[in-house]
Amino acid sequence: MLLEIQGVSGGYGRREVITDVSCTADAGEILCLVGPNGCGKTTLFRLILGLLPATSGSIRIDGNDVSALQPNQLARLVAYIPQFHAPVFNFTALDVVVMGRAAHFSAFEAPRQSDRELAFAALEKLGAAQFANRPYTALSGGQRQMVLIARAICQSAKVFIMDEPASSLDYANQQLLLDTVEELAENGYCIVMSTHNPQHPASIAHKVLLMRDGRVSAFGAPDEVMTPQCLQAAYGVEMDVVGVRDRYGAERIICLPVKRRGSAEQNAAREDLE
Amino acid sequence: MLMKQYELEELNSRKRYRAVLLIMLAALLGTLLLSFWVGYYPLTPADVVKAFLRRFGYQGDVLPQAVTIFWSIRLPRILSAVFIGASLSVAGATYQSMFRNPLVSPDILGVSSGAGLGAAIAILCGMPGWFIQAAAFTGGVTAVALSYVISRKSTRSQTLSLVLTGTMITALCNAGVTLIKYISDPNDVLQQITFWLMGSLTKTDMDAFGVSAIPMAIGLCVLLLLRWKVNLLTLEDEEAVSLGVPTRRLRLVFIGAATLICAAAVCLGGLIGWVGLMVPHMCRAIVGPDNRRLLPACAMLGATYLLLMDDVARTLLSMELPLGVVTSVMGAPFFVYLMLKRRVV
Repeated sequence: MLLEIQGVSGGYGRREVITDVSCTADAGEILCLVGPNGCGKTTLFRLILGLLPATSGSIRIDGNDVSALQPNQLARLVAYIPQFHAPVFNFTALDVVVMGRAAHFSAFEAPRQSDRELAFAALEKLGAAQFANRPYTALSGGQRQMVLIARAICQSAKVFIMDEPASSLDYANQQLLLDTVEELAENGYCIVMSTHNPQHPASIAHKVLLMRDGRVSAFGAPDEVMTPQCLQAAYGVEMDVVGVRDRYGAERIICLPVKRRGSAEQNAAREDLE
Repeated sequence: MLMKQYELEELNSRKRYRAVLLIMLAALLGTLLLSFWVGYYPLTPADVVKAFLRRFGYQGDVLPQAVTIFWSIRLPRILSAVFIGASLSVAGATYQSMFRNPLVSPDILGVSSGAGLGAAIAILCGMPGWFIQAAAFTGGVTAVALSYVISRKSTRSQTLSLVLTGTMITALCNAGVTLIKYISDPNDVLQQITFWLMGSLTKTDMDAFGVSAIPMAIGLCVLLLLRWKVNLLTLEDEEAVSLGVPTRRLRLVFIGAATLICAAAVCLGGLIGWVGLMVPHMCRAIVGPDNRRLLPACAMLGATYLLLMDDVARTLLSMELPLGVVTSVMGAPFFVYLMLKRRVV
């Protein structure tokens, strides 16, 4: 297993935010973290990235214990892709991508031609090469997200951590992002992403970790975890999970919140159940 | 195809950058000549060359006063202006990137006011000149060290807590200086303190320059050698750490280098404001925000700018103006102009 998390607990100071979380993900897999706000998704990310020490349990990436690694060693194993942001200074997109090489340099080293070629290739792979020389601040949200993914590729890490990558993108860019994530997994990267939309894991995940109050509420393949009972337990919202076929005959799963103010028959049926 | 186009653009921007640096270098050399020339006792370019060669065995006709003025008065003063201007600008550009705030100046952590307090205490105690310099340097370094140590105790983001503690230390040191001014003898000590705090290069000589040049050169070299890494600190802290950057250690190195520069600059020329804030802005408008290009440009333009300002201070009126006043009077309106054009901030 590329990423192994075993019985990890951690938090800020005395306040424990995450208790006894275990999960695994292998190369080529997409692990989706799902759960309400404040359930500890971001804290788990910070533990994986070594930004926060675990109070118990262990996190291993490619067999290496995260807590024993220097930042630059860890950065060669795991890359963080934040939500796109607006930096103060307008570097070009390529300048931002090249920053991904930092972990591979010694003290006085700076990027060379070969690093810039690597950065350009990463942008090209994501179909974003035409932005290379544009100021990062002039790019749209979706384009910036691609630049940050290119930076992670440039970092040559095997595990990508994506914190709600889709949440501030418009619909078309969300779909583009999900496609990109699937493609990255096909190329052998291990993707760990958090999301608020249960449809995302239903569409692309190989594994789903459902969290509530800092604990694992369910972990496994999407068809085991994305059940109405589990989702309801995690979100506190009545959910339906429906299997359909799309126009090309592929099987798809759709997660639907049940309407609270439904039709007369619906309300009658609900009262019968209760 | 895209790669070729990108390479072409990249090549053009590199050519442009080289041209800009060459122009800046030419401007610096021109300003150097001008600075030797103008003043109470004008030295023509020919005089300058002859006086310079005199030291190396040249036997041509040149007045002995010209030789003295060249070597003992103009040269140390010009070298000081060049060093202070270049290193304060580079330190300012580094701090602006590091604090992710384009309105930060190199004395944000209290180095200038700490140095002022050190000098004021030494003057009050009637210490000799070299001791005042040493006290100022120590005061500046101590103030920054205090800001740094206190900020480490905070759980906020390091950059924010550094700015907050730096502001607090600055206020404390300024209060100390005011108190010393208040209790000191207005006919002697008060005058001396006021004059010392006023930015000026009038009293620089080769010895003072030699002593201050070493820390400035060290700080400048460190910042220039690490200038790509300054880019990495413009990212959010956790993002930079996830890229494998040891942010705390790197920040400490930058703060150390900038503090050496600022403390030495204050020892040599007193409080000279605006240079470290303004020059980085002007350079960013010319060469962009990438610190690999920004810092060398800042060094060039900063040296030229302060040299010009010092020429103005020397020649505008029949008496000398304090350099700190000139940089503020010239700097502030220019900054407002840049800001209104929206090219920079």
